[in-house]
Amino acid sequence: MTILKKAMAAWNRFWFEPGPAAALGICRVLFFGSLLLWQLPHDFSPWGAYSSVFWMPIWLFDTFSVPLLPASAIATVQTIWKAALFLAAIGLFTRAAMVVAFVLGTYLMGLPHNFGQTQHFDTLVVFACGALAISRAADAWSVDAWLASRRHGEPIVRPDDGEYTWPIRFVWVAMAMIFCSAGISKLRHSGLDWILSDNLALLLQRQQYHVSDGEPWTNWGLWVARHPWVARSMAASSVAIETLFPLALFSRRARRILVPAGLLFLVGIRALMGPTFEQFMLCYVFWIPWRTVLSRTGARVSERRAQIDTRSAEAPAPPLPLRS
Amino acid sequence: MRRVFVNLVLLGFIAGSAYDTITDQEHWPFSQYPMFSGTWTSPTFTWLRLFGVTADGREFPLDANRYVAPFDQSRLPKALKQMLEKRDREAQIRTALPDLYARYEQLRRDERHEGPPLAALRLYELEWTIHPDAANVDAPDRRQLIAEMRP
Repeated sequence: MTILKKAMAAWNRFWFEPGPAAALGICRVLFFGSLLLWQLPHDFSPWGAYSSVFWMPIWLFDTFSVPLLPASAIATVQTIWKAALFLAAIGLFTRAAMVVAFVLGTYLMGLPHNFGQTQHFDTLVVFACGALAISRAADAWSVDAWLASRRHGEPIVRPDDGEYTWPIRFVWVAMAMIFCSAGISKLRHSGLDWILSDNLALLLQRQQYHVSDGEPWTNWGLWVARHPWVARSMAASSVAIETLFPLALFSRRARRILVPAGLLFLVGIRALMGPTFEQFMLCYVFWIPWRTVLSRTGARVSERRAQIDTRSAEAPAPPLPLRS
Repeated sequence: MRRVFVNLVLLGFIAGSAYDTITDQEHWPFSQYPMFSGTWTSPTFTWLRLFGVTADGREFPLDANRYVAPFDQSRLPKALKQMLEKRDREAQIRTALPDLYARYEQLRRDERHEGPPLAALRLYELEWTIHPDAANVDAPDRRQLIAEMRP
């Protein structure tokens, strides 16, 4: 019983530790804003023009009989989706916008996976949209909050609350589970051979043959492949970062190492191998310690104000204009 | 009441993720994230690739995403491979190639790529021996014609 109580207390402490509304508000602005900028040039509508032989529905679309819409309907859906992303970013009609962004985004981002291959760059984005859709992310840094303050006649003070913490921690946990699952998959399917064999060297070379969803940014992978110990060290680091990433959830020290290491790992994959993890990287805004950033920024602003006040108090009074 | 709802969402997400990881299954957006998890030991590999044929008979590979968008060079070969594994493979490919041709031409008209107009579209299976400098990208060891379509 005591163990259960302790576990529940730890659960509540992790998810619902009181946090500032501003931290979640800033995450909302940056996440939806950057997602909009990333998705703006992407057009999903051509998927609707392919013949049915290309349609190989994945579990979600098959189970819930989600159809492939015609190109014109997909174009309409994506226009509404991008408008919802904009509204969610600025925080106007935020709740409705975030729900629409989640539902339509799941359809649109899921759509390409029904055409022969499931890729994994956008799952975290879908999960993050889902968490934000049911969160109170509009309580700060939003047009809605500003309008509410105006109606109220004075700024509405939002005390720290667990409601502003759990969506951020949700993205942490989702990212940790994704990294860890990818590490487990490697160890399950290949064991230590994934690290100790020439596997990564061959992969890095093969990726130069135009076989990826994105071209590698560089051909440095060929250099790495020519140096077996570099390739094996990179393979070992990759598996270590992935499988150990959940430690970042519980240890500040581990967080300081694993979170930037995870980001570098994704950049490395993009640069050396090609797969386009840019959307996944957008979710790193949730790892920025906004409370600290805000308090430091706030302290600096107060300090400057104080300096200005002191200077104006010490400065001699301006001479009175002479009257003729 | 809201706290109960949020807790259920959190538990549901963790359970769904853990289920796919433990059972090695994929239920997008949940997944076991199996990308690159196998061990690559062979120095050779095969890949399906589309080639365009111009009016003067010149052949060139459609090996950039801009020729096949919204498909890419990973997803398209895998989709075509799945079609080729089906019993009615010929019918599937006969339907698929005109779609890909139409898309190439649409992208060309929209000036999304600089490729020439096509007189034919061919699907090949290519085989390479991996070169340390990838110097043989344009010279595979083997090319096997799978299908051809002419508009």
